[in-house]
Amino acid sequence: MSNLVETVDLKKYFTVGKNRYLHAVDGVNLEIPEGKTLGVVGESGCGKSTLGRVVMGLLPATSGQINFDGQDIVSCSKKEFKQVRRKVQMIFQDPYSSLDPRMSIYELIAEPLIMNKVYKDKKEVLKRVQNLMDTVGLAERYINSYPHELDGGRRQRIGVARALALNPKFIVCDEPVSALDVSIQAQILNLLMDMQRDLGLTYMFITHNLAVVKHISDVIMVMYLGQCVEIAPADELFANPKHPYTQALLDAILKPVIGSSKERKLIRGEVTSPIDPPAGCRFAGRCEHCRPECTGRDIRLVDVGNEHKVACVLAGS
Amino acid sequence: MEEKKTLLEIKDLEVIYQTDEATVHAVNGINFSLNEKETIGLVGETGAGKTTTALTILRLLPERTGRIKGGQVLFRGENLLDKSVPEMRRVRGAEISIIFQDPMTALNPALTVGDQVLESLEIHNTAGKSKQELNARVDELFNLVGIPAERKAEYPHQFSGGMKQRIVIAIALACAPQLLIADEPTTALDVTIQAQVLKLMENLKEELGTSMIIITHDLGVVAETCDKVAIMYAGEIVEAGTVEDIFNGKEHHPYTVGLFNAIPNLDEKEERLRPIDGLMPDPANLPQGCKFGPRCPHFTEACKAQTPYIYEEKEHRIMCNLFKKEAADE
Ligand SMILES: Nc1ncnc2c1ncn2[C@@H]1O[C@H](COP(=O)(O)OP(=O)(O)OP(=O)(O)O)[C@@H](O)[C@H]1O
Ligand SMILES: Nc1ncnc2c1ncn2[C@@H]1O[C@H](COP(=O)(O)OP(=O)(O)OP(=O)(O)O)[C@@H](O)[C@H]1O
Ligand code: SF4
Ligand code: SF4
Ligand SMILES: [Mg+2]
Ligand SMILES: [Mg+2]
Repeated sequence: MSNLVETVDLKKYFTVGKNRYLHAVDGVNLEIPEGKTLGVVGESGCGKSTLGRVVMGLLPATSGQINFDGQDIVSCSKKEFKQVRRKVQMIFQDPYSSLDPRMSIYELIAEPLIMNKVYKDKKEVLKRVQNLMDTVGLAERYINSYPHELDGGRRQRIGVARALALNPKFIVCDEPVSALDVSIQAQILNLLMDMQRDLGLTYMFITHNLAVVKHISDVIMVMYLGQCVEIAPADELFANPKHPYTQALLDAILKPVIGSSKERKLIRGEVTSPIDPPAGCRFAGRCEHCRPECTGRDIRLVDVGNEHKVACVLAGS
Repeated sequence: MEEKKTLLEIKDLEVIYQTDEATVHAVNGINFSLNEKETIGLVGETGAGKTTTALTILRLLPERTGRIKGGQVLFRGENLLDKSVPEMRRVRGAEISIIFQDPMTALNPALTVGDQVLESLEIHNTAGKSKQELNARVDELFNLVGIPAERKAEYPHQFSGGMKQRIVIAIALACAPQLLIADEPTTALDVTIQAQVLKLMENLKEELGTSMIIITHDLGVVAETCDKVAIMYAGEIVEAGTVEDIFNGKEHHPYTVGLFNAIPNLDEKEERLRPIDGLMPDPANLPQGCKFGPRCPHFTEACKAQTPYIYEEKEHRIMCNLFKKEAADE
């Protein structure tokens, strides 16, 4: 199977003062096969949204390569980039603030079609909007409604319809169900999975909800302070977490049953700052297994079999 | 038995939003009470009226549209709905604090995050601590919420969503309130930081006897932190009880059953998730009788005729006709 999206040593640094750089994404290599879902999890602030925006071309990369459908989009021409850009869309967390409240549902869904001059005829735009509303399960009678008149689930369906308007191949979903209650969350996840099956879409799915990420992903990447520390097929990662941070993450899941939690281990210790971090494992300050060889040099991802890679000196030993 | 002191009592609270187009019945006669050191979880569908309930307690409803139609909010026996604006401001500053669902509404984009935490400490500095002590406390709070203190000179827009939320939490904790209302406090956080934040809130409860109202969609958070639970649907509490009643009890409102069924299961592979059929009713045009009726698999004509039967067994209350007959039929 061929990869639709690949990144090679992708970096995104933010300038936060004189000669000080915040390493938001720091050397990420990833591969997403066509029609599959890569789940991305990690501490809040570790760079997930930044990674998503850079891969989408919403933010320029500091260095590295992004290949989309075999084409390098960091170094390609503006015109080529514009072509690619249409095939890549994003769905945001907050259906409230990501939609302009003054625009009707029709205007919101038609906007990408009009901006990209997809159709010459207004009637065709209307037909496409109706067709998109049908695909995402929005009744046609809402076509002239405004976002505030709809509940969170329907609003998120508008977000999905907008993302689908230009027939994308790849969608970055940044916490698309976090603001929704569990029932509407289930509706939207079913919708995303149906669309993947019917339209062959490829997803990068960012979330803090580990039950959700396990349900929807083929492969899961765990990030810590800008780097990928572990990546594996979903079931393998949950059955066999190797990196101490991943283990802490899975250990901290709260299940909807009482009495399951006894005494939870909390991660303690200094949080490494992402501003010009020193070489070495970025989790070292909080890792109970930390030893001398963890600091001073960068820890590379090691293949431990079963398509499972880990960046930790303990891995493979 | 140890005498429990009631801190907050909500009685028959009714709230609407009056917009140009419609009257939105957001909260329709809810009742609950909260003892000192107790935590209650408010759970329910998007739009069920949870945030509206929180805003009403603090009297922070939007002035133009929000209207309290009836009921009482008794805080230590005094009705907050009768207080003057300056009195209310004092209550909000010193006794009740809120963590808002959207962190940006609580943060000032023009101030550094460190200054905002410091400001909150200064307002509540009744012990007369020195500037230096307060600054040390800021660093401590940053550490407690897992952000390097080195980053306190940055502005909110330089922070990720979850990092902003953690600053808001640090500010709320700095106030050391009697009642903490937390509206989706951990949704934007990963589970390890969530565990730390919940631990912090628990410490607050133990050290200061703080009571809490936690509004959340996450039933795992409820199971972990709450003593009591109220399940809201279309502005009503359709089921309430102790956390044991809700998670281990046999009798449940059909909506509660639907909520639990919709959660993805970590231990099993499911092809499709099971959302509750149908959609939330329009709060400007609520159905007659049981508001869950149009979506309920057990619906009968009787459910439409009048407000449903209320089942009560100790603290457990369920508003549903299924429990009306003595002889259960299934
Ligand atoms: N415009 C910016 N200027 C400076 N720093 C930024 C900017 N945007 C993001 N950052 C920093 O980059 C890092 C990664 O942020 P990002 O938003 O990608 O995190 P995230 O993993 O999506 O977090 P969350 O789970 O909370 O959404 C953070 O340290 C953040 O403070
Ligand atoms: N300012 C407002 N004007 C008009 N209607 C409003 C306003 N604020 C809220 N509503 C409506 O009142 C009802 C209750 O909203 P509320 O925000 O209390 O729900 P919630 O339970 O907090 O939902 P969520 O889980 O999405 O946060 C909803 O139907 C909502 O659309
Ligand atoms: S490399 Fe060392 S410090 Fe880092 S996670 Fe592994 S054992 Fe811990
Ligand atoms: S009262 Fe009737 S419609 Fe309402 S929840 Fe109970 S059985 Fe269902
Ligand atoms: Mg993010
Ligand atoms: Mg709310």
